[in-house]
Amino acid sequence: MNPVRATVEIGPQAGMASGALILFWVFAVIAVAGALATVTRRNAVTAVVCLVGTFFAIAAEFLLLYAQFLAVIQVLVYAGAIMVLFVFVVMVVSRGEADPLWKLQGPVTKTVAVLAMGTLLWRGWHALRSFQPARIDPPPTGFGTVGGVGQVLLGDFLFPFEAISILLLVAVVGALVIARHHHDKDKAAQP
Amino acid sequence: MIPVSNFLYLAAILFAIGLSAVLLRRNALIVLMGVELMLNAANLTLLAFARAHHDLRGHAIAFLVIATAAAEAAVGLAIVVGIFRTRHTANIDEVTLMKH
Repeated sequence: MNPVRATVEIGPQAGMASGALILFWVFAVIAVAGALATVTRRNAVTAVVCLVGTFFAIAAEFLLLYAQFLAVIQVLVYAGAIMVLFVFVVMVVSRGEADPLWKLQGPVTKTVAVLAMGTLLWRGWHALRSFQPARIDPPPTGFGTVGGVGQVLLGDFLFPFEAISILLLVAVVGALVIARHHHDKDKAAQP
Repeated sequence: MIPVSNFLYLAAILFAIGLSAVLLRRNALIVLMGVELMLNAANLTLLAFARAHHDLRGHAIAFLVIATAAAEAAVGLAIVVGIFRTRHTANIDEVTLMKH
C-alpha cells in the first residue's frame, strides 16, 4: 500500500473515531451519573427520572455498537413502558424514607463487605484487562438492523422467541392477579 | 474506533452500581431499579461482544433479555403493590411474614 493512499484512508477514519470516542465518553458519564443518582436518591420519583436518563444514555451506547434495532427497543421498552410502570407504582406506593439510605451492622459485616467488594473489583479488573480483542473491523452490512436481528431471532432463536411470548402472557396475567383489588373479601366483610 | 473494552468497563461499573442498590437499599422500588440497571449492563456486555465478533446472536439474546426484564418488572411491581396493600410498607426489611 503506498503511503499517500494510507494517509487518505487514515484521515477521515481517525476523525470519525475520535468523534465516536467523544460521544462514548459523554454518554458513559451520563449513564454512570444517572445510575449513581438513582441509587442514592431518597425520593423514588427522582430516582425514576434519573434512571430514564441512564437508559437513554445506554441506548446511545447501543447505537455506538451498531445495535440500531436494540437501541430503539431499549428506548421503547425501557425508557417508555417499564419506566411508566415504575412511575405509576411510585405514585401508589411512594412514602418518604426517613431511615438512612443504607446501614451495615457491626464491624464483621463491614469487614466482609469490604473484602467481598475488593475481591470482586480485583477479579473483574483482571478479567477485563485480559480481554484484548483483535483489531475491530467495521461490521458487515445489515449488522444490527431489524432485518439482520430478525433473521437470527426467527432462525436460531425461534423457540426462545416463542417461549418469550408465553412468558409475557403469563407475567401479565400473574401481575393482574397479584395486584388487583380483592373485592370478594371486602364484600364478605361488609354486612 | 472505540475499543470494545471501553464498553465492558462501562458495563462493569453500571452492574456494580445496580448491585449496590440491590444489596444496600431497603426501598423495594429502588431495589427493582437496581435489577433493571444490572440487566442493562449485561445487555451492554452482550452487544459489545456481538460487535467484537460480528455475531448477531448477541443481539437476539439481548432482545430476549429485554423482554424478560419487562415481564420481571411487571410481576415485581405487582408484588410490591400487593405487599403495600396488605402491609402498608415498601421497606423490604419489614416484610418478614415468613420469618417465624
